[in-house]
Amino acid sequence: MNNLSEQANREREAQLEHVWGNLPGWGALAAVNHTSIGFRFMATGMAFFLIGGVLAMLIRTQLALPEQDIIGASLYNQIFTMHGTVMMFLFAIPVLEGVAMYLVPKMIGTRDLAFPRLSALGYYCYLFGGVIILSSLVLEVAPDAGWFMYTPLSSNTYSPGPGSDFWLLGITFVEISAISAGVELVVSILRTRANGMSLNKMPIFCWYILAMALMIVFGFPPLILGSVLLELERAAGFVFFEISGGGDPLLWQHLFWMFGHPEVYIIFLPAAGIVSTLIPVFARHPLVGYRWVVLGIITMGFISFGLWVHHMFTVGIPQLAQAFFSIASMLVAIPTAIQIFAWLATLWQGKVVFHLPMLWIAGFLIVFVCGGLTGVMLALVPFNWQVHDTHFVVAHMHYVLVGGMLFPLIAGFYYWLPHVSGRMPSDKMGRWGFWLFFGGFNITFLLMHLTGLLGMPRRVYTYEAGLGWDWLNLVSSIGGFIMAIGVAVIIVDIVLHFRFGRRAEQNPWGADTLEWAIPMPVNAYNFSSMPDITTRHPMWERPELVESIAAGEHDLAEVQNLRRDIYGSDAVTGKVREVIHLPTNSWLPLLTAAVLAVVCVSLLVKVYLIALVAAVVALLLVLRWGWENGAHPRAAPVRADDPVDPPLHSRTCDGPGLWGMVISLMANGTLYVSLLFGWFYLWTAAPQWSTPETSPLALIPLAVSGALLALAVSIYRIAVSRLRKGNDGSLSLQLWAVSAIGLTHWCLLGWVLKTSSLQPTELAHDAVLAVALYYLLLHSGLAVIFTALQALRVKLGYVGARVPYEPIVIQAFWVYTLGVFWLSFAMFLLLPMAWGA
Amino acid sequence: MLSPAGPNALSAAWLWWGMFGWFTLVLVVVIALWLYAIRRAPEPVSKARARQVQNRWILWGGLVLPITSMAVILAFGVPAGHRMLPLPLAEGKALRINVTAHQWWWEVHYPDSDITLKDELHVPAGVPLDLHLTSADVIHSFWVPRLGGKLDMLPGRTNVLRLQADEPGTYRGQCAEFCGTQHAHMKFTITAYSPEDYQTWLRQEAGNE
Amino acid sequence: MKPSPFHPVNLVLGLIIWALWFVLLYGGLSVGCAFVPPDTEAGAWTWINAASLIAALIVSSYLLVCAYGCWKAPSLAQATDAEPLKAFISKTSAAVYLVSAFASMMLALPGAILPPCI
Repeated sequence: MNNLSEQANREREAQLEHVWGNLPGWGALAAVNHTSIGFRFMATGMAFFLIGGVLAMLIRTQLALPEQDIIGASLYNQIFTMHGTVMMFLFAIPVLEGVAMYLVPKMIGTRDLAFPRLSALGYYCYLFGGVIILSSLVLEVAPDAGWFMYTPLSSNTYSPGPGSDFWLLGITFVEISAISAGVELVVSILRTRANGMSLNKMPIFCWYILAMALMIVFGFPPLILGSVLLELERAAGFVFFEISGGGDPLLWQHLFWMFGHPEVYIIFLPAAGIVSTLIPVFARHPLVGYRWVVLGIITMGFISFGLWVHHMFTVGIPQLAQAFFSIASMLVAIPTAIQIFAWLATLWQGKVVFHLPMLWIAGFLIVFVCGGLTGVMLALVPFNWQVHDTHFVVAHMHYVLVGGMLFPLIAGFYYWLPHVSGRMPSDKMGRWGFWLFFGGFNITFLLMHLTGLLGMPRRVYTYEAGLGWDWLNLVSSIGGFIMAIGVAVIIVDIVLHFRFGRRAEQNPWGADTLEWAIPMPVNAYNFSSMPDITTRHPMWERPELVESIAAGEHDLAEVQNLRRDIYGSDAVTGKVREVIHLPTNSWLPLLTAAVLAVVCVSLLVKVYLIALVAAVVALLLVLRWGWENGAHPRAAPVRADDPVDPPLHSRTCDGPGLWGMVISLMANGTLYVSLLFGWFYLWTAAPQWSTPETSPLALIPLAVSGALLALAVSIYRIAVSRLRKGNDGSLSLQLWAVSAIGLTHWCLLGWVLKTSSLQPTELAHDAVLAVALYYLLLHSGLAVIFTALQALRVKLGYVGARVPYEPIVIQAFWVYTLGVFWLSFAMFLLLPMAWGA
Repeated sequence: MLSPAGPNALSAAWLWWGMFGWFTLVLVVVIALWLYAIRRAPEPVSKARARQVQNRWILWGGLVLPITSMAVILAFGVPAGHRMLPLPLAEGKALRINVTAHQWWWEVHYPDSDITLKDELHVPAGVPLDLHLTSADVIHSFWVPRLGGKLDMLPGRTNVLRLQADEPGTYRGQCAEFCGTQHAHMKFTITAYSPEDYQTWLRQEAGNE
Repeated sequence: MKPSPFHPVNLVLGLIIWALWFVLLYGGLSVGCAFVPPDTEAGAWTWINAASLIAALIVSSYLLVCAYGCWKAPSLAQATDAEPLKAFISKTSAAVYLVSAFASMMLALPGAILPPCI
């Protein structure tokens, strides 16, 4: 390469850096880049981990000796509640999302995630939500009903303070971030892989993340629904979980665990993905049984949704029903065992080089297998009746969660450190950290199994002497502090390495995946040019990629019109289909999250007017955000030199936005199905369920309203199908007509609600019905607004025959709204009438 | 629960020891295999041979091992669980006691003799008990580790727990579902008597009423 | 109506059927016990248990048929079709169907010995 072209290449890369980089100074807060956001998730998650760890140390201090009163009952209850909440919601999931956000685009050979601004919004929602939750601890009004918030203990009567509200509102806020990350990761993995990276050539880590992200999409909505319902009960007196009036506290348990059990696997899957990535690298042998492992991942993802009742074996459910869940719980051991033995076989066939990350992988194996085996024990109903809610369970879940998540996570941290810093971690100090942590962990929790078997329940702030629990608790506490020292050593080690670590060479571990083709430390755009992928192990089979990518020998090497461009590819074959133009740095995510935080806080202090105003402002911000899209001058205005083969995604009928919409609707649909579940559950199981004599709603106006909705949707569909054929004549008029009809439908629906005789504070039946109506109103209202804006955009030339994309995305939302309306009509109104007759 | 004093606790303890033994073996073997696999430096083998070895690991370890373990565990566990249920007795009648949980104490009522107690139960040894459990406020859970499994006490519902104390003695019980500030102090005792002593106790209580 | 054995939906369809079956089984049991509870003296020999076992047989056999179809598909297809991606999808799908068939059957088995509603 001569000097001239080297100079040109440097200029090319400077331009890439200019387009993809963050704004300087405080402008970094407007960053949307996945590397920055991923880091922030991880750093914030680690900060919360340390806070959760301090809380754990307080717990172990209080329990070290019998009959101590260092902390006191009420503070202790806040502390253990917050320990669980912080570790599960503010550490485990976000930190893994951060890892996934950082790695996935680099592994699949692209420059960013599909919805960069959504990642930024997710981060700020997480940060603000976490701060709100933690502030309750500082104000000494932290939630104290346990991290699963069982009603009626968490209801107004028995928890009158704001503690439970902090939990419910804060967690719901944080979950916006989880779901947005879920949607984004699914779409990114499916639609933005490097050219030629078909499903069977995808790095195994991405299979894990794909499964995790889909599980978030289906797993979190039940808890969001439960939190909304419980908050409505606490704040507005609606009946959902109160026995009198026809509610049922068990409904909360169902909704909570429908989320809570999949969550354990949401945490485990990405960690197992790290294991599956590291083992082949250190064994110098491809992962054995790739297809088996994929089978294991898919099976695990599904079966983990069928286990939730095993947290409820002692509530008095018929034994046959318990047996179903017992068996499903054991079935999940099969995909786990498949993975364990696939890893074993990989090590068996390979020649292992043993570095620090492998030590943590070995620790993972020992701890996790132990936790998995006690898990199978717990799945056995009669044994569960004995040890449920004892320290045996506490020990089991720490083995599973720390073993199944923290050990692989630290292995991964050490493994990818050179990627981030360009330096190698210290082997010696790292070993000290490992042995202190591993030893301390087992001292704490191995004996805790026995504590539980000897009858010590969980969540007691003290215990009497002489029951045989004294020495066990003391030893556990000592182990806990050893573990804490281990954590400190690890942190010091990682911090010091940024300064003193040995410079790393390119691809220092000899890995096979594409993220190591990037210069270290990382730049803003990952790949200076985007290679085709023909193998599952690009760095083993084509090590020359490092140079050729840097030299700009592959695709999209030049920046076009200062746009952030990546490839969109086919979900199955990975063949390039379009060029996706991504949005650039923006303050909107931060602003939106800040306004949402205002909503959250004003709900907490019960100033509903401000909450309403802030919610409207948040909606306006989101609409503004959506406005700068497609052919908008700040996005990708139509130009004569638009690329044609492949075209820009906003010029096609199928881009990442449509996928994002469909995946979001899946999450939304799960929320709705959870509500339906609640309806049928209360109907069949609540001890005092009652139905009013006459329907509280005017049925005929409601049906007319539904007919109007159907009319609006059919006109919309006709307009879109004409648009697809390239015909945008009178498109604006059609869209205005749809909005007008939709608005009439919305007003009629609102009128039905207003004139109804619903008594949601008296009857659970009416409370559920009211929520369903609010849900329908919200959807119809949003659809009307979206469509009116589309009509405006047609006028401005942002949407039309050459840019047909956006109306197609919104069509999915209309169809969903229509479906939900009539399903609700049938399930909430017609079915009870037919049953009654 | 490791020193069982009733039939339910006994079978749970047996299940525990059985699973403990088998799973310890599994754990040790899996870890040993892994460590050996890490140390091992294999000779290069043919592709077909490698495939055969891989499939063997995954089939035996990933499928056969968990499925047979599951089958054995369930074969013992499901009938054991079934026997713990309050099924109709072949002969005789179970003694019915109603227990209502409050924050943070236990209200004990004997419907047959109309005796009401607080935080203590007195029962005849060797006789099956049907405890009708409910709650006046939040969710609690009734648990006597040495006699058998726990059962939740829910407001608005009544659950029936079958227990039996084989020998006279005093057994400690405690609330097992977190129920608020003083959850740790929500305890009770079950005193089991020989049949004669139980009759004496009954007469005494009736006299006190 | 049936998707081609090479369609990626097969990767999840088996387990979706399993999930629906689970919902049906659990929901059906709850509703059955709430509205038409069988005699508790009858033990496991009730219409609820019989219906669930028969339904399990039907569901599992259907899934087995699907598994067989997906397994055979790559060798039946013409040589041009038998590329690795297609084989990957259909063989993995076959395994998913097989697992689903097994799991569907397992779920219903305790119905053979346990009474339904206590």
